[in-house]
Amino acid sequence: MLNFFSIDSPENSFEWMIFLAKKYSDMFWEGTKLTLFIAILGTLLGFVLGYVVGIIQDAKINQGDNIIKKILMRAIKIIASVYVEIFRDTPMIVQAMIVYFGIKMQAHINITPLNAGILVTILNTGAYMAETVRGGIGSIDLGQREGAWAMGMSPMKTMLYIVLPQAFKNIIPEMANTFLTNLKMTSVLNVIAIQELFMAAKTVGGNYYKYFESYLVIAVIYFVLCFVFNRVFLFMEKKMQGKNDYALAVEYMDNQ
Amino acid sequence: MSETIISIQELSKSFGDHEVLRKIDIDIHVGEIICIVGSSGSGKSTLLRCINKLERQTSGRIMFNGREVRDAQREINEYRSKVGMVFQSFNLFNNMTVLKNCMLCTRKVLHLSKEEAFDRAITHLKAVGMAPYIHAKPSQLSGGQKQRVAIARALCMNPEVLLFDEPTSALDPEMVGEVLNVMKELATTGLTMVIVTHEMAFARDVSTRTVFMDRGYVAEDAPPSQLFSNPQNPRTREFLGRYLAG
Repeated sequence: MLNFFSIDSPENSFEWMIFLAKKYSDMFWEGTKLTLFIAILGTLLGFVLGYVVGIIQDAKINQGDNIIKKILMRAIKIIASVYVEIFRDTPMIVQAMIVYFGIKMQAHINITPLNAGILVTILNTGAYMAETVRGGIGSIDLGQREGAWAMGMSPMKTMLYIVLPQAFKNIIPEMANTFLTNLKMTSVLNVIAIQELFMAAKTVGGNYYKYFESYLVIAVIYFVLCFVFNRVFLFMEKKMQGKNDYALAVEYMDNQ
Repeated sequence: MSETIISIQELSKSFGDHEVLRKIDIDIHVGEIICIVGSSGSGKSTLLRCINKLERQTSGRIMFNGREVRDAQREINEYRSKVGMVFQSFNLFNNMTVLKNCMLCTRKVLHLSKEEAFDRAITHLKAVGMAPYIHAKPSQLSGGQKQRVAIARALCMNPEVLLFDEPTSALDPEMVGEVLNVMKELATTGLTMVIVTHEMAFARDVSTRTVFMDRGYVAEDAPPSQLFSNPQNPRTREFLGRYLAG
């Protein structure tokens, strides 16, 4: 116990953890990097998708527009809601299998497990995010939009300049939550043989038949990652709140 | 009589089974200041929202400068950029400063340059006495201040007609005056204004024409001197009697 880094004949679980973490540090490190990579890329692109789908779901069809525009809008809205429904109502582990093997075996397109894993993370995040965005948009008073519409601003621009910036602020905590969920959910991607953290623990554990200790190692890694990110998000949220005061423009004080 | 700018023809509006507006016919002429009065639920605000196309009429039409405004989004946007609106609840953009509120639509709808949009914003904010507050956010202003900014914001678009939907109803009594004063000032500039209001004294003194609405109909439409001193319709008499007595 005196020196953690020179255990060569571990006797208890704690020592085994140290031993495994040290011996397979490269593998755990690679796994951590991959987990972070998938989670960050998948979440960011998933957010983009979620915003697009959420806006589509919120858009109203203007009855006064021409028939082609109305049919097109309706079709897009149906596709969006079918997508959201399917991805929210099936487990991500099953989605991973279906997307990977579907693309590889059915569509005969050569896709790496990593790309399939990222794709699944994007699609899954997008579906949940779409609902969050829709809720965020709904939380903004309709008067905000009417104020812009009444001056001739198009519904799309109104969404972009008025509604989304306000909705975005409201759903930051939910977005942070989604990222933390994704960081942990990447573990299910081991089923399509991605060498992320869970897969690393499985492999390492198998070498010495020390699964408990091996999974404890990644539990610590997941915990530390989530803990750190959580603090970063809280800090960012505080920064986003902005100042509470304003300066009078004194140059306009006299000549009113 | 000067030129007709907006012509409302046989305009009806129902929400489900509830008929709110029944075949309204009103012509708005350039330079007129029309006050629409009537009890709550008589359809005043709905009429104003229909004029701005925030509500879609059930039947009838709105003509602007002799052309019908159809319901295609592009046409509505174009029309709205010329017909401004001031709301009861101000509807300032909460995520922007006073200055940005006044510059957004001139930049993004009229595509003015930054300098032009800024000059316009400052000119109109000065006129309503809000120029020193350009860096403030709406949440940091009082109700009266917000409404004055909202009026300046609408003016920045150089509208041909400005609609007011109960602009003082959400204000404390002491703030009502500052907003009404701004509107009185505006009335002298020749801008065409349509004002839904409960301020009878204001309607009597400032409007060139007063419209009394009752249960979705235009019950009486006359110059204020006539409508307030010698109302023809029994409903108008009843309504004014209650108001002026109270």
